[in-house]
Amino acid sequence: MTEQTTKNRFSFRTLVLLLLPIVALAGVIFLFLSTGGGLDFQSAAPIEDLTIERYELSPDHIDIYVRNSGPETLTIAQAIINEAVWPFDITPGATIPRLGRATIHIEYPWSYAEAYGVTLFTTNAVAFDVEIPVAFNTPEPNTKTFWSFALIGLYVGVIPVFLGIFWFPALRQLGRRWMVFLMAVTAGLLIFLGLDTLVEALEAAAEAPSPFQGIGLIGIGAVATFLLLDALSRKQINTGSDESARRLSLAYMIALGIGIHNLGEGLAIGAAYNVGEIALGAFLVVGFIIQNITEGLGIIAPVLRDRPRLSSLLWLGLIGGAPAIIGAWIGGFAPSPTLAVLFLAIGTGAIFEVVYEIAKLIQKDVQKQPMPMTIFSGVLAGMLLLWVTGLLIK
Amino acid sequence: MKLISRRDFLKFGGLTLAGAAGASALAHSSGAASKVTAKPFKPQMQHGDDLIPGIDGEVDHEKNGFDPTEILTDFDYGEVSTLPNGQTLREYRIVAANRAIEVLPGIEFPAWTYNGRIPGPTIRCTEGDRIRINFINGSDHPHSMHFHGIHAGAMDGVPGTGPGGFVAPSDSFVYEFDAEPFGLHLYHCHVFPLARHIAKGLYGAFIVDPPDGRPAVDHEMVMVMSGFDVDFDDANDFYAVNGIPFHYQNHPIPIKTGETVRIYLVNILEFDLINSFHLHANFFNYYPTGTSLTPTEYTDTIMQTQAQRGILEFSYKHPGLYMFHAHNTEFAELGWTGMFEVSE
Repeated sequence: MTEQTTKNRFSFRTLVLLLLPIVALAGVIFLFLSTGGGLDFQSAAPIEDLTIERYELSPDHIDIYVRNSGPETLTIAQAIINEAVWPFDITPGATIPRLGRATIHIEYPWSYAEAYGVTLFTTNAVAFDVEIPVAFNTPEPNTKTFWSFALIGLYVGVIPVFLGIFWFPALRQLGRRWMVFLMAVTAGLLIFLGLDTLVEALEAAAEAPSPFQGIGLIGIGAVATFLLLDALSRKQINTGSDESARRLSLAYMIALGIGIHNLGEGLAIGAAYNVGEIALGAFLVVGFIIQNITEGLGIIAPVLRDRPRLSSLLWLGLIGGAPAIIGAWIGGFAPSPTLAVLFLAIGTGAIFEVVYEIAKLIQKDVQKQPMPMTIFSGVLAGMLLLWVTGLLIK
Repeated sequence: MKLISRRDFLKFGGLTLAGAAGASALAHSSGAASKVTAKPFKPQMQHGDDLIPGIDGEVDHEKNGFDPTEILTDFDYGEVSTLPNGQTLREYRIVAANRAIEVLPGIEFPAWTYNGRIPGPTIRCTEGDRIRINFINGSDHPHSMHFHGIHAGAMDGVPGTGPGGFVAPSDSFVYEFDAEPFGLHLYHCHVFPLARHIAKGLYGAFIVDPPDGRPAVDHEMVMVMSGFDVDFDDANDFYAVNGIPFHYQNHPIPIKTGETVRIYLVNILEFDLINSFHLHANFFNYYPTGTSLTPTEYTDTIMQTQAQRGILEFSYKHPGLYMFHAHNTEFAELGWTGMFEVSE
């Protein structure tokens, strides 16, 4: 009824009334820009901001990818490498429009494993520093590096998740209380992973060009993912599917949340590998395997009392682990702080939504027989498990 | 994952890696070197494709109002007249002014200058001459002129010693004193904060010739070593001799074999403790402060702290291109590098 009335009242007059403030706004903006609005906007020094997106080293060459994240056009005038003025080329041009990108090519005889610092000076003598902590050839996207990044993802993502899933037959024998305990452990694991993902998102946000508002992106990505998953799970309840199907879909959601988290982990590893920050020593990989095996455990926790098909378990493992490979590829070949923020934000939202789903499931399970200390100790054990295994990686 | 800033540990060790010559030697075997787009050396260089620190292009000397090539041999003897007592009077008019100087292609530095140039005019006279400097402050900051030499306190150009120590914007002052002792000296602004007033460009050479002059040479040149802190973090970003980094690398100074050369070398570098001068493939006689006609050293490298100066005399035996540069290698690669082009 109300809707009907609203529709009826929408006329040309309404349209004009709607547009009126917008037209007035345009007028105010025009007036402000043409007169300065009585304020003095003369700045003593121009505000310039340049985001160093990444660098690539190849024999005798250093390429630096930059983006103008300042409010106005800027021009790169000089490049200094390790306290030496060095000739350079810049494409498409030295003058970079707002949010525009450019690549600085420097022919420079760098040495393997040494550290370099590049300073870029704009025409207004504003200096921007590029830190190259360890110099080595940036992996090029060819078949070999493609596979080695895939292997990294396999080791830190797919293998450990599947190892965790292999606990399935053993854990099936557990009693009801232990199953609730395991669910609580999963919730604890996920809370820990969620916090970890959020922190990584915040770190990536600090590196993203400021106009892209990294923190805002985190909010958008996390909240939207949370609400979307929540809506999907409610829709499923409404369609009246049975309990075991619901538990299986919860397992899929956990796998998805963990998968996006592992994508973030892959991104970080790929990017770190590229800049030589990570030696990816055997010890570090072992650490990842130990930590991520608990993720496999979390994925199967909701379906322990059911008989999921083998193919389901396979899919659960792939969804949970394989994104690490994709992440390593993206992080290794096309790192973008902005994209990383978005992925990590989605991961944060997904993980916390899954925690919420698990909480609902546990609540249902303990309706007849409350076991608060089981839940408390389970959640705590889950968080401690990641904290202790994390000692191996951090 | 935390950033590993190895650079902080390594950067000091890495600096000495390569003088420009070393760098070009390193790159010599590289086939990729032929792709370099910048050729800082003009065609007279045989290996224009070698990797060398330097700049592409040229600053706008006309707009800057001075050209280091001209400053090299520009000695200002003033307006000369004779006083009733027979003493020679040299009068100068020096204006302090703000001026944007393009120090490297594309980078303008908001400098403070004497007579619109960095370094200021090379004031040259003979011991015992009466020097009269009509100093006009045309900038928006108080400035002064402080000469190294022997003179009355009121003529010292230091705040607190009288009106000459602090000349307000659009004010003026006449500095007057007898030039002594003979030697190579300098002048600079002494208004505080002193480091900033010097670093912004207010300095110049002051040559007092001995009464009977120095032995005749084929070339006399003045070289004032300084630096530019373009981002105002009290550390030099670029180094230069006679104002423009890499100028004499891109425009080698032509001389002939056997010709005698005398260089009046002054260091006014702010922020860094020392500066130095190294001449390639040659040795020179060194007269510290120029106050004696007997050299103290026969060497190819000397060092000077701020306001130290000395006279170098040498000639080249063989034709070729010869570098001269600060042997603080970092300064050399940041602009304090030049070349002599010696022909037969």
